[in-house]
Amino acid sequence: MTIRKEEEYKLQQNLARLLQQGSIDRREFLMRSMVAGLGLAGIGAAAKNGIGSARAQDRPLTPTFYQWIIDLHPSIPKVNEKFPGINYQIAPVEGFGIERFVAEAKKKESTWDVYVGQTPFVEMSAMKAADVIEPWDNYIPKEVIDDMIPSIRAENTIDGKLYGWPFFLDVIGNAWHSGLTTKAGLPDKAPVTWDEHLANAKKVVASGAAPFGATFDSHGWRSLAPMTHSMSTAVYTKEGLFDFTSDAAVEALKLMKQIMAVSHPDILLEGASDAGVNGTPDEVAFAAERVAYYHKYFNAPLRMAQNWDDPKLLHMGPLPKFANGEGSTVFWTTGCALFKHGKNKEKAAEYIKALTYDPQIWQDSIAGTKAAHPGQLPPYKSIYAAWEAKKPDWMLDFVPLVRAQLDKAKAITNHIFGLQQFVIGKPVWETYLKGEEADPKAALQKVVDAVQAEIARGKQ
Amino acid sequence: MAETTVSDRMATRPVGHADTLGARMTALRHGMSPWWFRYQAYPIFRVLWISFTDYQYLSSEPAHFVGFNNYAAALNDPLMWSSLWRATMFTIMFLPGTIILPLLLAILVDKVSNPRLATLYRVVLLIPAVIPSTLVFVLWKWMYNYQVGPINHLLVDVFGLFTLQNAPQWLGGTSLTLPAIAVMEVWWGLGYHTIFFLAGLAAIPKDLPEAARIDGASEWSIFWHITRPALAPIMMILVVLRFGTAMAVIDEYLIFGGFNRDSPTYTWTMFMYDQAFKLGLWRQGFAAAIGMIGAIAMMIVMIILIRIFRPKG
Repeated sequence: MTIRKEEEYKLQQNLARLLQQGSIDRREFLMRSMVAGLGLAGIGAAAKNGIGSARAQDRPLTPTFYQWIIDLHPSIPKVNEKFPGINYQIAPVEGFGIERFVAEAKKKESTWDVYVGQTPFVEMSAMKAADVIEPWDNYIPKEVIDDMIPSIRAENTIDGKLYGWPFFLDVIGNAWHSGLTTKAGLPDKAPVTWDEHLANAKKVVASGAAPFGATFDSHGWRSLAPMTHSMSTAVYTKEGLFDFTSDAAVEALKLMKQIMAVSHPDILLEGASDAGVNGTPDEVAFAAERVAYYHKYFNAPLRMAQNWDDPKLLHMGPLPKFANGEGSTVFWTTGCALFKHGKNKEKAAEYIKALTYDPQIWQDSIAGTKAAHPGQLPPYKSIYAAWEAKKPDWMLDFVPLVRAQLDKAKAITNHIFGLQQFVIGKPVWETYLKGEEADPKAALQKVVDAVQAEIARGKQ
Repeated sequence: MAETTVSDRMATRPVGHADTLGARMTALRHGMSPWWFRYQAYPIFRVLWISFTDYQYLSSEPAHFVGFNNYAAALNDPLMWSSLWRATMFTIMFLPGTIILPLLLAILVDKVSNPRLATLYRVVLLIPAVIPSTLVFVLWKWMYNYQVGPINHLLVDVFGLFTLQNAPQWLGGTSLTLPAIAVMEVWWGLGYHTIFFLAGLAAIPKDLPEAARIDGASEWSIFWHITRPALAPIMMILVVLRFGTAMAVIDEYLIFGGFNRDSPTYTWTMFMYDQAFKLGLWRQGFAAAIGMIGAIAMMIVMIILIRIFRPKG
């Protein structure tokens, strides 16, 4: 008899724990209690352990992360430890797919409370249009909003509301293999202009220091857009689309073709993962120490240089500019979206604040760990100010450079076709790069036509 | 002892047994019907219905009936035709390798008289078939890599047939991408398809070819008049099934080609996926019409293939 009571007690405790964790709901709890023969004893356990709190929350804080964030930032679990009972998950968003989130929102429900992995120009407009997310404005502390770098805050805002809480900042900049540039007899400093960049790249090839002088990622948001921004950021139409026929975009396309002449022949090919978006040929060439200059978001050269015999030969600087250009670049943040039909919204804000201000995450990101060296930076002014006031011994030189660029850098404008306009346009502008179309402006006009045709398709 | 037939045995059973069995089967059929409808028929009819609407997944607006508008738009879209043609090209590259190579291999393995050696061949052949798709893709992506892949390493560094500037670009949307994927697929399914033919060969009575040999028939004549007709049902099943899978490939294209519309891997399945889950407000009504057109085109070809490959006589 005593043994049975002990078993009943264990069952009660176990069920109560599952209820409080949110692993089962109250109906499931009562059903299991009845099946286990606990009857009123089970309900007693619930009363003792506080069914009221379970009703208020229904489940513990449930964030979900894009897998790569966990892979690149090993300190995140340490922040989770400060939130007991947190139900921390990996998001079903392989290839940036948000269909599961949308399907749940249609049923006015969400398995998760907050998604860590949203890139504003990629999917924020779609998540908003599908009523998946709600603004953070009612939950985020005012001091956090004020602490955001203005361009980053603007990037995460639609119609005056903050739909993304920025976390990891990526800026397109320039990197070089100082071992190869030194071998080519070049000074160990960042080329200031594109002319200088191109001349250096040619010298690398001519000297035999490396088979290829320079490379870039051929996806438009990583090449055409930042190169255009380096001349001008006034390249967006009233409706928020990239103005492919602007003079700056035409110059950028011409520049891409010039760089291609000193680059690896597979530069335009699609990548090997995430539907061609990642694992791109530029990464392979830089990792294989076959190319000297490389402009992309900083975490790419940082990751690729880990494959070198001496990763310390990697040096980084701002994106070169056109002689008469603005000297801007493109940045984006990967941040957090608040599910409209999620729960624990105040708790989610508390958690994201802890996460985005965590000093260990930033130290690991900048200085690197055994797991990874993402080089992604924080979105808050106060963090940079603290580093400037007292430079940590692990700080790397590229960080202040990036911070300085942020005052001029611009994100790609949020639009439902924010990313897709570049996907649609890539094969079209490549007709110029491959020599099938002689006039860059004509090629870019065809890009505009193709994007407009696709937009019109949705309005038919 | 006199032989008893099935009908004899049925006749000797109590009348009530057949009734009970019949009643059970009817109950099972009735029980299965809703399940079958939900599992098999409903999704097809649902997609068919969506194809007649302007349904956009991300939009909160209700969908409207638009008749055949989506079909007309798809059929008037050059991308629909070019993407169907690309899928056909891949199928043409893939299907012969899936039938002819395994057939030849099965005939060779079937001739191995040492049972241990025959078993070893079968096991080795089946190894690729049991490798998970992710590993197969990772392996071949590395094999085909332009800069560091072993194929180009052989061509450039070992044999000197190419330079770093003109080595073949296998994957990523070039004209070599479809043949490269077809080679990978043939390799992957070689053992699996060979086993089909080996099963068919095992069913041919051994005295048939032996009698033909005694009568002076050549090996080719034996193959053409005995082996080939005996394997015809298997060949028909393989041709029809693999035609369907080849035309409807998407995973490989997503991984090896991406969403570049000029890539030969941007087939009708990619076009459909792009419209349904990537572009704008996700035009799933239009995407469903693309899917239906693709499915109907495939069904027509399948009927033709069945007529061509069905066992004669």
